Amino acid sequence: MGWHWESTVIAMVAFGILYWLLSKYAFGPLFEVMEKRRQLVLEQMNTAESSRKAAEQQMEEQKAALQQARKEAYEIIEQSRTTSSKQAEEIVQTAKSEASRLKDDALKDIESEKNKAIAALRTEVGGISVKIASKIIEKQVDEKSQEQLVGQYLKEVGNK
Amino acid sequence: MHEFPVMPLGPFNIDISTTVAILVSVIVTFLIAKLAVRNLSVDNPSKMQNFLEWVVDFVQNFISSTMPANRVKPFVSLGMTLIMFIFVSNLLGLPFGIVTETHHVYENLGVTQELLDEKGGHVELAWWKSPTADISVTAGLALIVFVIVHFLGLRLNRKHYLKHYFHPFPVFLPVNIIETISKPVTLALRLFANIFAGEVLIATILMLGWYGTPFLAAWQGFSLFVGGIQAFLFTILTMVYISQSAIHDEEH
Repeated sequence: MGWHWESTVIAMVAFGILYWLLSKYAFGPLFEVMEKRRQLVLEQMNTAESSRKAAEQQMEEQKAALQQARKEAYEIIEQSRTTSSKQAEEIVQTAKSEASRLKDDALKDIESEKNKAIAALRTEVGGISVKIASKIIEKQVDEKSQEQLVGQYLKEVGNK
Repeated sequence: MHEFPVMPLGPFNIDISTTVAILVSVIVTFLIAKLAVRNLSVDNPSKMQNFLEWVVDFVQNFISSTMPANRVKPFVSLGMTLIMFIFVSNLLGLPFGIVTETHHVYENLGVTQELLDEKGGHVELAWWKSPTADISVTAGLALIVFVIVHFLGLRLNRKHYLKHYFHPFPVFLPVNIIETISKPVTLALRLFANIFAGEVLIATILMLGWYGTPFLAAWQGFSLFVGGIQAFLFTILTMVYISQSAIHDEEH
């Protein structure tokens, strides 16, 4: 063990060469790659941030659209409700008027049928009474008094 | 204690084990880093890449604890190289050792007749150790840090850097110079002492023979921890010194 300045010089030269070799062949490329990765991460973070913002904006838009659609749907329902109630009212109205018209018609029919029936009955009754009378009177009354009688009855029936 | 083989090469005396250890540390460090960045991927990193990125994050964090965050970037590479190289170096001597015995003179390995005589004709040569267990190596690292610190101080922060030698009064110049010199010295000595002590203790425990195995295991585990701590300390102190000299804080 002793001092050898040659070892000192060798150590310094060797260290210098090692430094140069490492810088050139190992650390240089390594630092480059690390820097590249740093850039990549930075870039990806930026991308993520911007895409997050875009997504948020889209979300906002979607929400607004949904709100709009909901409002429209509500309006449509409201509108249809009013329309339907109005229509129902109309239908009921029409039905009512139709019903009253039918009732009136029926009443009129009844009236006219009644009148007809009365007229028919009157003639029938007249005929029957004439027949009955003629049968009764056939034997007792002559032509002249028969005519007189018929006329009187007819008059009476007509007054009824 | 073991001797280390020192090869005289012309005017130089090359410490073979240290040189080998430095080279192995450099190669291992580079291989680890190279393996980690083999298939770099931005979005699907491999396990090794993840590990190295974790180290980068760790280094970046503790550097930014010493200086403003916007000044950290140029020093990350330096901090990574320092911490990885020193950590690998600290661990290099832990798993095994290579020791040869010789009874003859090998001038090429620094085994002289005097040494043989001194050791009683029996010399053990250690061929494998942590490079940071050699004070020459830690001094080299500290010297690099020293140069970087003062170069950056003069270049980026000249006015405040020069002024700090006369702070708070010109009388304090010697104190400030001592402080400046003591920084790299402590840096080198702390690292060397910790790792060297660890290896000495390993060698000592080995003398116990098989009975030493549990102690050896415990001590190797602790040395792992010490190696990590020392690598971290060396690096963060480097960053603190750089921050002190080169980066002028507006608060002071």
